[in-house]
Amino acid sequence: MAEKVVEIENLVKRYKELVALDHLNLTVEKGEIFGLLGPNGSGKTTAISCILALLNFDKGSVKVFGEEIQPDSYRIKQQIGVVLQNVAVFEDLTVQENIDYFCGLYIKDKTERKKCVEEAITFAGLEDFRKFLPKKLSGGLLRRLNIACGIAHKPKLIILDEPTVAVDPQSRNRILEGIQKLNREGATIIYTSHYMEEVEQICSRIAILDKGRCVASGTKEELKAMIKTGEKIHMEVMELTPEQLEEIQSLQHVYQLTYDKGMLEIRCSGGKHNLVRILDYFQQKEISFGRVYTELPTLNDVFLEITGKELRDLAEG
Amino acid sequence: MFFRAYGYGLKRCAREKYLMFWNILFPIILGTLFKVSFGDMNEREFMFQQIPVAYVEEEQSQQEFETLLTELEEENQLVKVQKVSGEEAKKLLREEEVKGIFWNGSSITLTVTEEGMDTSILKSIQEQYEKTVGAFSEIAAEHPENLQMVAGNIAKQWNYLKENSITNRNMDMMSDYFYALIAMNCLYGCFSGVNCAVAFKANLSALGARRVVASTNRFVILLADICAKITAQFFCTVFGAMYLKYALKVNLGDETVRILLMILIGSAIGVMTGVFVGSIGKIKESVREGLCIGVTMIECFLAGLMASGMYQLVETYAPVINRINPASLIVKAMYSLNIYDTYTRYNQCMLGLLAITVILCIGSYLMVRRERYASI
Repeated sequence: MAEKVVEIENLVKRYKELVALDHLNLTVEKGEIFGLLGPNGSGKTTAISCILALLNFDKGSVKVFGEEIQPDSYRIKQQIGVVLQNVAVFEDLTVQENIDYFCGLYIKDKTERKKCVEEAITFAGLEDFRKFLPKKLSGGLLRRLNIACGIAHKPKLIILDEPTVAVDPQSRNRILEGIQKLNREGATIIYTSHYMEEVEQICSRIAILDKGRCVASGTKEELKAMIKTGEKIHMEVMELTPEQLEEIQSLQHVYQLTYDKGMLEIRCSGGKHNLVRILDYFQQKEISFGRVYTELPTLNDVFLEITGKELRDLAEG
Repeated sequence: MFFRAYGYGLKRCAREKYLMFWNILFPIILGTLFKVSFGDMNEREFMFQQIPVAYVEEEQSQQEFETLLTELEEENQLVKVQKVSGEEAKKLLREEEVKGIFWNGSSITLTVTEEGMDTSILKSIQEQYEKTVGAFSEIAAEHPENLQMVAGNIAKQWNYLKENSITNRNMDMMSDYFYALIAMNCLYGCFSGVNCAVAFKANLSALGARRVVASTNRFVILLADICAKITAQFFCTVFGAMYLKYALKVNLGDETVRILLMILIGSAIGVMTGVFVGSIGKIKESVREGLCIGVTMIECFLAGLMASGMYQLVETYAPVINRINPASLIVKAMYSLNIYDTYTRYNQCMLGLLAITVILCIGSYLMVRRERYASI
């Protein structure tokens, strides 16, 4: 059985009347990239803050490396790297000085620290910017500096709270690749985001949060298996009668369809050859159609089916 | 860890242009303006010069007043008396040969044509004389047995004043402004203090949260930051004081070590005031800075930065304010060093400053000691 790095049991956190975490249960195992996915306000950052002993909570327990974490658990904190949602660097220190400062909060030995700082600079691709002050960096570089400051001391557990917010695609890819590299080197990662594509791309296990509750967790395959949708077929069709729609709805494995502005979306619950069956129907009825494409279910579909709302819309709203 | 964080703290202070302006440039500009405005006032007006005054004797003149003027002319060298007729006296006043005319008749009257330091002194001579004569007449009429005792008391008062006015130190009337300026420079450390507190508390800044989750004791980080800010503030204020002393030739005395010690504690109070204000609840940083400016300016105003004699006024009507106002304590400490031969008053001021520092430290600690936050 894999070693448990973080264990959250029955965690309840209230902000006056608002329940931010509602009996949250989570377990993060050694060596995994654990994704916390949920819209803004779902409780991701609150959960992270409780793991880091920043916030007090009303009920439950948080264990890190098998011990209840407290604000003065310096031995545990030594093994944790933190990249917070808001960039936390000193405006008056250069890139290299910032990394050295934060690394120095964990590593006392000067030689070892120097090595770690150099590696962090290389990791984040900041070699050409080491003498730059943060205000001279672009948004993407600033985020990379934020990450470098958090991981320079080579922690065993790295917590990244929405590290790619407002980052250009190039920097985003670099950050995601970097996280995977850290994981390959042995670090356990907790990654929060409301970008489902990112979570789907890098996380080995995912927990979906909504209103402070963990509504589903597992690998992405397990999560997708939890829902009815197995396949989504999109077709461009000029005109369909209500009778034809009823007939399509009655085809095998088709459980839901929507037709709007010439676009037909058909949701099928698992099964094979769904597209062939549907195309056969269109040929038989001599209904002309344009573009056709199919989609496998995404985490958004998982979220939609479980909570009844779109993750993407909530995140962006 | 402490020294590394301290070193980075100093680096950050040195690169904060905003703070450098308020801590170095602004006091230098203000000091220069003070010097330009009234820098040579001491030589012109406060250097002791006898005040020329005309004296006209009328009917029923009071011999005692004439004796007093003679005393003030010969013994104290306060006035230079010309005994003339009424017409001549008026002519002298018109031609500005004298600052005023004393008319010695059944009562003493004073004629002056303009307001100023000299005429104020003449007026006070007249008033003092009339008060004393009035008191003597009243006591002689009602309690003649106490007359001798009162005379003795007045004599003692004269002796007391004489003893206090003669020391080995120099007194520069305008120095109070510069002392208050040094106090202001020290207390401007409050801005650094606010930044320090905000960057420490996890519920106020991302930097605070980031540092609190590190594996170094957060109070070591805070202490290193505070020490760095105090050091930077100390050197800024020393630089300002050196500018006053060597560039503007302001007389700050020769007690360098004691002045440095005072600046150090003053800087600590400034920074700790900021830390204290920065630690209060969850309010915007700009509001905290505004609060600091307000507090510092009020303290400096009461210590006499904007108006000469304010310190004395507060001492008369609300002396307790002077005991708890760090700016007043700094001004008094500087004043004491340059006026008195003993260090008693200086030491009292230093104790007061230390007590305020300790109170601010305890208050700040009580507010930042919380280990977990209800919300961030």
